[in-house]
Amino acid sequence: MSRHRAAASISAVAVLAVVLATGCSAPGADEKSAADDTGPIKIAVADAQSGQLSSLGAWELKGARLAVDEWNKAGGINGRQIELGVFDTQADPTIGTNLARKIASEKYIAMIGTAESAVTIAMAPILKQEAIPNITSGQSPGLVAVKSEFLFLNGPTSTTYDETLAKYIVDTQGIKSIALITNNGSFGKGEHDAFSKALSARGVTPVADQVVTTDQKDFSAALTTIRQKNPKVIFLGAEEVESGLIVKQARDLGITVPFAGAAPQGTPVFLDTAGAANAEGTIVSSPYLSNDVSEASKKFAAAYKAAYNEEAELHGAKAYDGTQIMLTALKNSNVATGKPLADAIRATKYEGLLGSFAYDETGVGIFATSIGTISNGKLVPAAG
Amino acid sequence: MQVFLQTFIGGVSLGAIYALVALGFSLVYRTMGLVNFAHGNVVTVGAYLASTFYLSTKLPFALAMLVAILLTGAIGLVIERVLRPLENRDFDLMLIGTIGFGIVLDALIIMIWGATGRAVPSPVPAAPLELFGVRIRTYDLVVLAIAATATVLLVFFLSRTKRGAAMQAVAMDHEAATAVGIHVGRSNAVAFMIGAGLAALAGGLVGPLLYVSPAMGGALGIKGFAAAILGGFGSIPGAVVGGLAIGVLDSFTAGHFQGYSELVTFLVFTVIIVIRPTGVFGERTVNRA
Repeated sequence: MSRHRAAASISAVAVLAVVLATGCSAPGADEKSAADDTGPIKIAVADAQSGQLSSLGAWELKGARLAVDEWNKAGGINGRQIELGVFDTQADPTIGTNLARKIASEKYIAMIGTAESAVTIAMAPILKQEAIPNITSGQSPGLVAVKSEFLFLNGPTSTTYDETLAKYIVDTQGIKSIALITNNGSFGKGEHDAFSKALSARGVTPVADQVVTTDQKDFSAALTTIRQKNPKVIFLGAEEVESGLIVKQARDLGITVPFAGAAPQGTPVFLDTAGAANAEGTIVSSPYLSNDVSEASKKFAAAYKAAYNEEAELHGAKAYDGTQIMLTALKNSNVATGKPLADAIRATKYEGLLGSFAYDETGVGIFATSIGTISNGKLVPAAG
Repeated sequence: MQVFLQTFIGGVSLGAIYALVALGFSLVYRTMGLVNFAHGNVVTVGAYLASTFYLSTKLPFALAMLVAILLTGAIGLVIERVLRPLENRDFDLMLIGTIGFGIVLDALIIMIWGATGRAVPSPVPAAPLELFGVRIRTYDLVVLAIAATATVLLVFFLSRTKRGAAMQAVAMDHEAATAVGIHVGRSNAVAFMIGAGLAALAGGLVGPLLYVSPAMGGALGIKGFAAAILGGFGSIPGAVVGGLAIGVLDSFTAGHFQGYSELVTFLVFTVIIVIRPTGVFGERTVNRA
């Protein structure tokens, strides 16, 4: 009993030290921290485990679980095991907000996910109010606009993806005849705005700008309009499955020029849906092009393969990085919660699979992507 | 003109699928007066079964479809058998029962095949045909031909066979039908079985066009339901016309209103239904509620 009390006061002192060091704690934000410092450390993974975007949720969970298993095998943090709680958002913002309350009431101290910016944005106000730090896989600039000090991204924002892409297409390749097809969801809208901005900064006006809905199945009208404009490249801003359907239908309609886009176009689901032959030549802007880019990624890919018997890809890698950062911050802060944990995440410098993470005030930790192309059904770094 | 024709063709091919889904809805409705809310999920089951036999068991596409239709038809029989005690007793409970079946099927799909979907390669790999600058996918022609054949067979069954005539009789007046010795329960079972078979046909055919995932039936179910209402709920030609109309309407609104296409599609739908509540064909065979 007395030992428990001693541990409690030690961690309370530790928390206090962190608070004093950062010197900007909101009053009352860290009251819960010392209350529950025995038993497993509870971290929530909130993601779509069902519905059309469930592949994202499945990859995220695998990446996060891989990181947690590594830490647990090494003895956990301060002798405490890490426990992952899985919550299914169904990629629905309404369900997300309910889950945010549930995560708070079940005393989870941190959250990994979600992969959909719209869901994360919906959950953010509640998580902020409950002082639960959240590392999301979303990439919409809208996440930064939320201005929550508890919200962090495990990758670059669309702005970075699309700036790199525009630089490659317009500056390196000298292509100025570009068409846009994006969906009107949170991700597609973010991609549309970010890429349009990058183009207009270069004085390029797209020859066509088509918007589709998120659950549209037939793209004949939009694609025929694009075909008549004869662009040299088509920018694609939609999630994996929809992107794949658009590329497949475009090829059926006789469009032969390459597509270009961000993270979704580098995934196996996109390749399968479009068909490898149809996706050939697609230009992808991604912070994680393949499993062979570095020693760390090779090691990660091997562990991923051993655990799940499938090839690792970007989303798993992002979630792995995000979870590693979360766990490192927990260790550095002696399992703090609330504001001190958020500050610890912000202070964490981490060499990840995606690159070097160093968080700024906006919650973004990484600001670079690379360009790859799909060649023979595989994403490879682009030449030149 | 080219955009117009291409948009039209894109709409027709998905419209044929909506028509098949609508046929299933209408057939059950005209026979039992019941809206089968599990129909969209049955479409998903059919799509998964067809893709499983086609991709994993490596059966030829036509055979895989046939097996999927038979198995899904059997699921239709099970649904009807479970709901039968409620027939003519509590209609609302029966409706809720179909919703419950939808949830059960959804959960089963995720348990068996997982939450992530699968892409089905086209069984007709031939290049698209080009006519006056308009491209027509060969697979779309296959879909249209099969949908047309299925509709003709269904009409033939309902009007020219004894069992079909019995089903028509039950649809018109189930008490009088019972009086002349027609087994109403069996008639309902056949309706459910054929409805589920049509759902499997729609799901199996749409697999190579789209992406087979647990969520696919939801969108198809709603469009198919709207198609059935538009054509006149319970009417067989109405389901076909409604399906094609919704498909083409959807395609054109996508071209003109882009991000707001869904909104415009259903606004137009609502206006038509307000003007003509019984749908295009305006048949009302059943009023048992």
